[in-house]
Amino acid sequence: MNLFTRPMKLLTAVVLEGSTDAVVKSLLELGALDFVKIDQLPPEQMAKLTTRSSSIGRASMEDMRHRVEAVLRQGDTVLPAVESLDVSQLAPLDMDGYRKLLDSLSATLQQLKDRQKDSNQKLLGIEEMERYIKEGKLQYIDLRVGTFNHGEPKDVQDRLLPIGGIVLEGTGKDPTVVLALRRDVAKVNPLLDKFGWTESSDAEAQKAGLSRATSRLESDRGAVTEERDALQHQVVDMISKKRSELIGIWCNLRLHELCDQIQSYFSYTKNTTLFSGWVPSDLADEVEEAIRSASGGQCVIEWTDAGSMPREQVPVAVSSPRLLRPFQKMVDNYSTPEYGTINPTPFVAVAYLCMFALMFADAGQGFVLLLIGVFGTLLYKKNPLRKEGMLTANLCNLLIYLGCASIIGGMLFGSYFGHPWFPALWFNYHEVVEGGSSGSIRSVYDILGITIKFGIAVIGLGLVLNWINLFRKRQWFTLFLDKNGIVGGWLFGVGVWAGFAFVASGYKSLPSSPFLKWAVEIPVVLLLGKGFLGYYLERKRGSDAKSIGTVVMDSVMEWLVDLLEIFSGFLANTLSFMRVAGLGIAHVSLMVAFADMAALTSGVFSVLILIVGNALVIALEGLSAGIQSLRLNYYEFFTKYFTGRGIAYEPVGLRSDSGK
Amino acid sequence: MKSAASRYGFINAKLRARIGRMMDDHVVNDMIRSGSLVEAVQVLRDTQYAPVAEAYDRTGDIQALELVLLQGEIAMYEEVAGYLDGKPAEFVRVLLEKIEIDNLKNAIRLWYSNIVRHHSISYRGAYIFRERIVHAIDWAMILNAVQWDEVLKAVSGTPYLPVLERYTFDSIVEDGLFEMETSLDKLWYEHLQRQAKSLSRRDRAAVEKVYGIDIDLKNVLMLVRFGWYHRLSSERLRQLLIPGGTIYGSKDIESFLSMEPPERNPSLLLKRRYADLAKATDEIAVQQNTLSDSTDAKVLERKNEIIAAQTLRIEQYLGKMRKKQYLKILSGYPFTLGVVLAYFFLYKRMDQMIRAAISGKYYGWSEERIREVMV
Repeated sequence: MNLFTRPMKLLTAVVLEGSTDAVVKSLLELGALDFVKIDQLPPEQMAKLTTRSSSIGRASMEDMRHRVEAVLRQGDTVLPAVESLDVSQLAPLDMDGYRKLLDSLSATLQQLKDRQKDSNQKLLGIEEMERYIKEGKLQYIDLRVGTFNHGEPKDVQDRLLPIGGIVLEGTGKDPTVVLALRRDVAKVNPLLDKFGWTESSDAEAQKAGLSRATSRLESDRGAVTEERDALQHQVVDMISKKRSELIGIWCNLRLHELCDQIQSYFSYTKNTTLFSGWVPSDLADEVEEAIRSASGGQCVIEWTDAGSMPREQVPVAVSSPRLLRPFQKMVDNYSTPEYGTINPTPFVAVAYLCMFALMFADAGQGFVLLLIGVFGTLLYKKNPLRKEGMLTANLCNLLIYLGCASIIGGMLFGSYFGHPWFPALWFNYHEVVEGGSSGSIRSVYDILGITIKFGIAVIGLGLVLNWINLFRKRQWFTLFLDKNGIVGGWLFGVGVWAGFAFVASGYKSLPSSPFLKWAVEIPVVLLLGKGFLGYYLERKRGSDAKSIGTVVMDSVMEWLVDLLEIFSGFLANTLSFMRVAGLGIAHVSLMVAFADMAALTSGVFSVLILIVGNALVIALEGLSAGIQSLRLNYYEFFTKYFTGRGIAYEPVGLRSDSGK
Repeated sequence: MKSAASRYGFINAKLRARIGRMMDDHVVNDMIRSGSLVEAVQVLRDTQYAPVAEAYDRTGDIQALELVLLQGEIAMYEEVAGYLDGKPAEFVRVLLEKIEIDNLKNAIRLWYSNIVRHHSISYRGAYIFRERIVHAIDWAMILNAVQWDEVLKAVSGTPYLPVLERYTFDSIVEDGLFEMETSLDKLWYEHLQRQAKSLSRRDRAAVEKVYGIDIDLKNVLMLVRFGWYHRLSSERLRQLLIPGGTIYGSKDIESFLSMEPPERNPSLLLKRRYADLAKATDEIAVQQNTLSDSTDAKVLERKNEIIAAQTLRIEQYLGKMRKKQYLKILSGYPFTLGVVLAYFFLYKRMDQMIRAAISGKYYGWSEERIREVMV
C-alpha cells in the first residue's frame, strides 16, 4: 500500500502498423493503460496523422451483443465475466452469420412463444369457468345435460372450441354434458338445436353433470398448464443447446468492442501506429515489455514523468490493500483525490471505525453485525450473480469491520447486549449514563468531553494531512495562509487551548495570559494580508491588473469570510463530534429502556422484549451510527484536506483494476 | 391545518428519488433496437419492470404483459394516495377513476363485441382488471351480461350508472359505443375539475395548468376527427366537447362549428393559443381540403392517413407540452401536488413507451415507426 496516490508515467509509443493488432491484444490482456488522445503534437505533425474507424461500428457490435444477451437471458444463462475473456480466442467478426443465427433463433423462439400464448389463452378460458363454479356464480355458467339425437359430440366440441365450451360424451348411464358460459348462449343454442339436443329432466343427472364438468375442467387446466410450461422449458432447452455457440459469439463481440475502444485512441501515419496513455510507474516495465514483445522489438517507446505534466491532467490511481476495499468505496463515492496527494482510504478506515465503535459500543450486538457480515459475504461469494438487495455485498463486507469495531467498543465500555456481563476495560458506559459511576468518567459531560477531544484529533489530523498535500504540491501560499493552512491551524490550536482553559475555569474566563491576544491578533492580521499578497503573486504570474479599490474590497471580503469560516467553522466542526456521544448515549438509553420493559414482565415475554429490543437497536442505531460516521468523515474530515479534484485512472482491458 | 411542507415533504422526496431512477431512457432504446419481441422483452429483466418480463416468459402473451403493467400502475396510484391525506388524496383517487373508466370502457366493449356483434370473447375477459379500483363494479357481471340491464346493475351505486342509463340496448345497437364512451370521459373531466376546486390555490393552479391543455387538445382532436372526418353536425359536436380549458366556449369554436364540414380547419382553433401547432396542422389541413366527399376507397384511405397524421401531430404536441409543464413543475416550488402529477406523468410515459415498443416489435414495425408513435 502506498500512503500517496500511485506515481504515474505517460507512455508514448510508435509501432509498425503490421504489429498493431498484436499490440492491441497484448494491451487488452494487460489492462494497464489509461489511453489519451494524441492531440498535443505540433499542427504540422498532427496533419500527418490519421484516425481510422473500424469497418464495423462499435454501436453495431454493441447492438449485436445485446441481442445475444437477450437470447441467453431467455435461457437463464449467466454471462461470463469480462475477466474470463481470452484474447487468444479473438476471431474475425462474422456479423452476417451472427445475425442469421439470431434471426433464426428468434423466429423459432417466437413460434414457441405464440404456441405458449395459445395455451395461456386456453388456460384463461378454463380458469374463468372454474372460478365461477368455485365462487358459486352459477348464473354465468351454461350447463346442459342430455343427449344428442344426431351428429357426433366430437363435432359439437370442435365448434364450441372458439368460445371455450366443452363437451363430455355420455357413457352408459351418464348423459352427455355441455358446458359453456351463459353469455355465449346465442352461439350455443343454435348449435345444440342443429345436433338435436334433448335436455335431461333428471335432477340427479344435472347435479352429477356439474361435478363431471368440474373434474374435466380441473384435468384440462392441469394438461394446458403442463403444455404451457413445457413450451417454456422448450425455450430454455433450445437456448441451452446453442449456449456455447452464443457465449462464443458474445465473448468475441466483447473482445472486439474492447479492441475497438483501444484503437479509437490510436493515430496512424503511412506505416506506423502511435498511441499514448497513462500507466502506474510500478507497471511501466511490464507494459513496455508487452509492447516490445508484441511488436517484435520494432517500436519506439518514450516515457514522460507525471511531474512534468500539469497535475490536473494526470489520472489518479490509489493502491489500498484488499482489506480496505469497503473504505475505498466510501472515498470513491465522495470523489477522486488529486494526483500526488495522500490516499485518504487508510485514514477513513481508522476514523470511521473509531466513530462507529464509540457510537455503537456493544460486544453482543457487534457480534450479531459480524455474523450478518460474514454470512452475507459468504452468500455473495457462493453466488456472485445474486441480486443485491438492501444488504449489498459491499455492505456485508463493511459489516464485518463494523461488527469487530463494535465488539472492541463493547469490551471497552462493558456492554454485552446491554448487560455488563464482563467488567469494562475503560469505563462502564451504562453506569455513567445512569449516573452511578465512581470512576474517572462520571457523567455524560465527561463522555461529551471525550468525543470533543476525539473530534479535535480528527480535525487536527485532517489539517496535518492537508499541509502534507500542500507541501507536496508546493503550494506555499495556500500552505501558510489558507484557512486550512498553517495560519488556520494555528488559530484552531489556540482556540482549542483557550477552550480547555475556559472549561477548566468552570466556564468563567478565558486565559489571562497576553499570549492569547498575540496568538490571535498576529494570524488575523496575516490573513488580512493574504488577499493583497495573493494579488501581487497573480500579477507576477501575468494576470490582469485590477483597480486598487477592487483589490482592497476583495481582500477585505475574503478576510472577513476566512475569519468567519475559521472561528465559526472550526467551532461547529469540533462541536459536531458531540453527535458521537449523543448516539452512544441514545444507544445506552434505548437498551436501558428495553431492559426496564423486560423487567416489568417475566419468562418468555421478558426474553421476547429483550430480543426485539436488541434487534431494533441493531437495525436503527446501527444504521444511524453508520450514517453519522460517514457524515463526520465527509464533512468534518474530508473538507480539511480532500479537494476531490482528481480524475480517476480508468485503464482499458480485461483485468483492469484501478485500485489494485 | 397541515402546512404544504408537512403534507408534501415526504412524498416530494420519495417521488423525486423514484423519478431519478426512472429517467434512464436506455431501456426503451435497447428495446426498440432489439431484433425481435422476445429479445425486446428480455431487456426489461434487470429493471423495475422485471415482473412484466416474467409474465411474458410464463405466458408468451403480450396482453397478459399489458395487464401486469396496468396492475402496476393502479398499485402505484394507490400507494401515492396512501401517502397523502385530505383533498390531495381524494384528488389522486379521482385520477385513478380515469383508469377505472378506461377499464369499464374495455369491459363494455367486450360485452358489445359478444352480445351485439356476436364475436366470441372467450379468454379476452381475463385481460380486464377485475379488482376494485375506486368504486364497487361487478366486472364479471358486465362480461357475462346478456342484457344491457345487467350491465347497468353491475355499475349500480357508482357515478357511472346515470351516464350508462341514458343509453338503451337499441340505441347502442344503432349508434355504437362512441357517444357513451365520450360521456364517460366528460363525466371524469367534470369530476376532476370539481375536485380541483377543493384544492389549495397552488395545487389548483398546477392542476388547471396541466389539465387545461389536456382538455383543449382533446377537444381539438374531437373536432378534427368528428367535425371534419365523420362530418357530425354542429349540435352533436357541441355535445361531445369537454367543458374546460381555453378553447371550449371561445368564439373560435363557434366559428369552427358554423363552417361547412369539408372546410373545417383545426388551425382556426389553435392559432390563438397554440400557434406552432396551428402551423403544423395547417399543412395537413391544406391536403384535406383537396379531398372530395367521394366514398371511393382511395379517397377514404387518404382521409384515414390525414386524420392519423393530424391525430399524431396533436398528440405529439400534447406530449411535448405536458413534458415541458412537468419539468417546469419539478424545477419549481416543491411542496405542491404538481410533483405528484409530474411523477404520474413520467410513470405513465415510461409505461406507454414500453407498451409502444412491445406492440411495435409484435407487429414488426421499424425503429422509426416505433419512435414516431411514442408520443
